Amino acid sequence: MKKIIIALAILLLFTAPWIVSAPFFVHLMIMVLMWAVLGASWNILGGFTGQVSFGHATFLGAGAYTTMILYLKLGIAPWYGIPIGGLAAALIALPIGFICFRLRGPYFALSTLAVAEIIRLVALNWESLTNGPVGLLITTLPDVTFGERLIDWESKIPFYYIIAVITLGSIVATYIMSRTRLGAYSLAIREDIDSAEAIGINTVQARVAALSLSAFFAGVAGGFYAMYLRYVDPDAVFSIALSVEMVFIAVVGGLTTVAGPLIGAIVLVAFGEIFREIFLVHFKLVGHLIFYGLMMMIVIRYLPEGIWGKLRLWFGSQH
Amino acid sequence: MALLTVKGLTKYFGGLRAVHDLSFEVQPGEILGLIGPNGAGKTTAFNLIAGFIHPTRGQILLDGESIAGMKPYAVTRKGIARTFQIVKPFKKLTVLENVTLAAFLRFPSRGEAESQARRVLERMGLESKISALAVDLTLSEQKRLEIARALATQPKLLLLDEPMSGLNATEIEQASILVRDICKGGVTIVWVEHVLKAIMNSSNRVVVINQGEKIADAPPEQIVENPNVIAAYLGTKRR
Repeated sequence: MKKIIIALAILLLFTAPWIVSAPFFVHLMIMVLMWAVLGASWNILGGFTGQVSFGHATFLGAGAYTTMILYLKLGIAPWYGIPIGGLAAALIALPIGFICFRLRGPYFALSTLAVAEIIRLVALNWESLTNGPVGLLITTLPDVTFGERLIDWESKIPFYYIIAVITLGSIVATYIMSRTRLGAYSLAIREDIDSAEAIGINTVQARVAALSLSAFFAGVAGGFYAMYLRYVDPDAVFSIALSVEMVFIAVVGGLTTVAGPLIGAIVLVAFGEIFREIFLVHFKLVGHLIFYGLMMMIVIRYLPEGIWGKLRLWFGSQH
Repeated sequence: MALLTVKGLTKYFGGLRAVHDLSFEVQPGEILGLIGPNGAGKTTAFNLIAGFIHPTRGQILLDGESIAGMKPYAVTRKGIARTFQIVKPFKKLTVLENVTLAAFLRFPSRGEAESQARRVLERMGLESKISALAVDLTLSEQKRLEIARALATQPKLLLLDEPMSGLNATEIEQASILVRDICKGGVTIVWVEHVLKAIMNSSNRVVVINQGEKIADAPPEQIVENPNVIAAYLGTKRR
């Protein structure tokens, strides 16, 4: 039964752009999946280890700029650049982790906020590398043939498939993590960090490992974002609003669950967009943040385990 | 050779002298009781040995090797496990999961770690609770869970921080038997306790500290007659 549901979900994931092919809907689905990856990234750290980061845009931005700069300055194609962007994010997570994980609880959360701001300012001012506030722009993507056909980068469909694969990767990685020692250690750290140390867990190392894995997926999503928009600037990829939205998605979907971030992204991003349209048309207001706020309140009050955290019990699933 | 040697151990918290020039040895196979009035520095001494705080001065040797200044996880890997005065279970995890996590230290595969955890839980009389969440256990069970978790790391030396506090008379009796059993199983024990009856009945030797300093180190029957100890607990007669 469970296998059938998973198979159907994967089938749906890969056929969705044929079912609804209007560009607006494909764009919306791309955004949902990208945010699912970012939510999954935040969940790996915030859900499993319980370490609250308000600075995850750092890794999104690191991936975005890496992919962009590699393409513009060295001519490295995005399909290499996007995973390299993920690795770059995972790499800068190491020093950030070793410094910030000396702190605990709210102090750690504040330090991530501080680091994110520092890096945003670096990106803003290091003009020789990042072009500063003007940002980086690409006009064309390199030619790729898929089988016999040349891929049409003007269409959104290829981007949909790229992000679908990345999303699947983030879900599989979360699942694997939940079944390995790193996942088990993370839960111990979330539950009680002193006890975790007392049973021989190197909690700094385990948290850095979780942060680095988390940063990898944020970086990959960032690389994808840059190529999809063909543009980056510091505010587009390093802003606190992005960091906070990752928290929303992970929490609304269900922390420490495998499918939670995807569910969170569907609810917040897709319904948020619809809400925004309705508000724009009827009230001439940008209203999706009202929807986010409402969802957050409902979840905190009635579903502290998140939407999927609650639903999975009905499905009899642990993930 | 002594299993644990503490030499001149000193810890200042700013101007507060929590532990001062504390020295004692723990022989393999013994149960050493560590007692003293409130605020005497017992828990500080424990935290120093277990690596949770680092000493201002002094040496801590396990099997002749210095462990002073090591991180808690490294101390545990060397073979010293501890429990906490106020229990710190992994609340939202099951009893089995709590102990399995500790067993991972010596058994990297989940299957072996789980069977180690089951063995330890059986010894602690918690086998019927393995699927319960730690948060749902009674205090007495949580204390036993805490000991089980420490034992699952296969320590040479077990530091028990007030395992009897908050237990009723029957539970204290059961816990004393348990502690003696653990010692018979080959684990040396250092035990901080406020319940003096339990410690006097079970320990081979008792170290008394007061205001951060050692004031007595002798078998329990001599401790109860030691004038310094009586003075520390009851005060001296005004002349």
